[in-house]
Amino acid sequence: MDWECCWAKEAIAQGDCPYIAENEDDLLVSRQRRILERCCDCHLFKRDLSRFRDSNHPLAPVFSIVYGEYQRQKAQIQSLVSFLDSKTLEVRFLHELGSVLQSSVDLEEVLSVALTAITAGKGFGMNRAFLLMSDKERDHLQGYLAIGPRNLEEASQTWDEIAYHDMDLQTLAQSFRLNKLSSERAKFHDILEQLSVPLSNTENILVKSLNSKRPLLVEDAFHHPDVDPQFARLLGVDNFLLMPLISRNRRVGIIIADNCITHRRITEEDMRSLENFAFPVAFAIERASLYDRLQVELNRATDAGNKLKEQQELIVRMEKMALVGRITSSIAHSIRNPLMVIGGFARSMLKNAPASDPKRDFIESIVGETRQLEGVLDEILNYSDSLFPARDFWDVNHLIESVITDTGDALKAWNCTCRFFATPGLPMVYIDFKQVAYCLRTLIQGDIDNAQDGGTIDIGTSLEEDAVVIRIEDKNLLITQQELDTLLTPFASTQDLGSGFGLAMCRTMMDRQGIPFSAVSLPAGGIMYTIKLPTHKEERS
Amino acid sequence: MNRILVVDDEANIRLLYSEELADEGYEVVTAGSTSEAIEKLQTGAFDLAVLDIKLKNESGIDLLQRLVKERHDMPVILCSAFSCYKDDFSAWLADGYVVKSGDLTELKQEIARVLAKKAQRVKAGL
Repeated sequence: MDWECCWAKEAIAQGDCPYIAENEDDLLVSRQRRILERCCDCHLFKRDLSRFRDSNHPLAPVFSIVYGEYQRQKAQIQSLVSFLDSKTLEVRFLHELGSVLQSSVDLEEVLSVALTAITAGKGFGMNRAFLLMSDKERDHLQGYLAIGPRNLEEASQTWDEIAYHDMDLQTLAQSFRLNKLSSERAKFHDILEQLSVPLSNTENILVKSLNSKRPLLVEDAFHHPDVDPQFARLLGVDNFLLMPLISRNRRVGIIIADNCITHRRITEEDMRSLENFAFPVAFAIERASLYDRLQVELNRATDAGNKLKEQQELIVRMEKMALVGRITSSIAHSIRNPLMVIGGFARSMLKNAPASDPKRDFIESIVGETRQLEGVLDEILNYSDSLFPARDFWDVNHLIESVITDTGDALKAWNCTCRFFATPGLPMVYIDFKQVAYCLRTLIQGDIDNAQDGGTIDIGTSLEEDAVVIRIEDKNLLITQQELDTLLTPFASTQDLGSGFGLAMCRTMMDRQGIPFSAVSLPAGGIMYTIKLPTHKEERS
Repeated sequence: MNRILVVDDEANIRLLYSEELADEGYEVVTAGSTSEAIEKLQTGAFDLAVLDIKLKNESGIDLLQRLVKERHDMPVILCSAFSCYKDDFSAWLADGYVVKSGDLTELKQEIARVLAKKAQRVKAGL
């Protein structure tokens, strides 16, 4: 029998078989390989086989059976290889995805990676994906983020761009996060706003999928009994996939994926692939959310720690001041009685001494010194009183006006001018009127003392955030910040600066009420006193 | 002549008050303790009392409360080294409050004011 195919020949020449290419010379001389790799699929061989079948040779039907089985198994193996190849790619992709997700605790980054993976050609190749997150406080599923083109033109442009740059998943996700996250959010804002479902609505298909913790492949959405027609119209597709995101039994959210541009049917295989992807994504999203909350709590704890430290420092300072107050108060009272007797008798003697008495000067000197000492005692005792403030709501402009009126005589005596720049309509402040008034009087009196003759004192009020701020500018005292800080400390040695006790007392009084008080030496000379008064009761620290 | 009872545990202060208030034309009787004050009060009528608040181990405020109860027609002026008692409600029973000072002008003015007020009350038959 003459055979058309070359299978019967031990060796052939180039050109004898139309299925052997020029660079496959080894097949020309290897008969076994040639038969298995080429002849079995050759149309000439099939014709030879047909002729053999018709030859009535007893082995002809057996050979046909063996050949048919060989072809079937070969096709099966090829299919399995193809399946394995696709699974290998999927596993590689999931590994890459897992690595990227594990390396991030930033929620935006995790979401960018997840949604990019769903829509990237290298990933699951879906056209569009929506992420809805569980809002536990509102007990709602709420549209959070979406990715994908809105029309064919945009789709072509995006896919061309991705193909051109040939980026890996991480780079693609980074690029998305940096360049497109905000615009995608804005682009899908209208749909995301409407994607809001109460978690209590157990009949809703999204909640159903989430509660059952199983993905759902929706076909013919516009006529599906479980799909709200409004929801189907919103998506504009009749075939989509719902992928719940569950992490440790917690309902993190749900992903809706569809092929709104290509209209490729989503298969069960797509669904299974995405199911493998959903778990690490859900875990990563939950971890990132928890990390966010942890950061918030950490910041809160840090703030609370700082505040506690400030409070502790304040308490320590106040305890020290209170101790100083108790000691000085005790000493002051012990001194007051003998001082009173000395001063009183000196005055009595002075009253009865004739004008020509040479001892008058000495007695006058005793009277003057005791008067000065009594003044110092008054200051010390006022300081002790400052430890017990009584607070209420007061009009700060009224308070300042009354203090200016009180100091009117001293201003007049030293030819000083006090200018008050009041901001009208200020809210009431929650303060101890007596103590703040005393503090202002002390500051103004200090300014007058420093000005000596013809100075100007500027006072202003303003509303800053929730506090009413008083600023007093003393343009007359030229001292450094270090010297000023010394003045703010009780009993510090400030002989060349005056007693300085008043400033320290003002600061103590304000500290006790939790009122910020600062004195800053101005670069151009002078001091700016700033007192920040609370407008609410709870601002007391 | 108005008769004034001065109660203070410091002998020198009692002497100072006696001298100064006598110069102002008052008859001054002094006491160094609560019990002595009560004793003196029983010897005759007084137009006014000047009380110290800290009387060694006794309290001038307690004496004040007793005087208000038993001698409600006799005004009382508290004279203390402590200014903080001005804000003490129990001290508000007194007719006046003066912080101790070598300059007795304020005390003298307060005595004059309180006595004038008392005279007005008497005149009005209250």
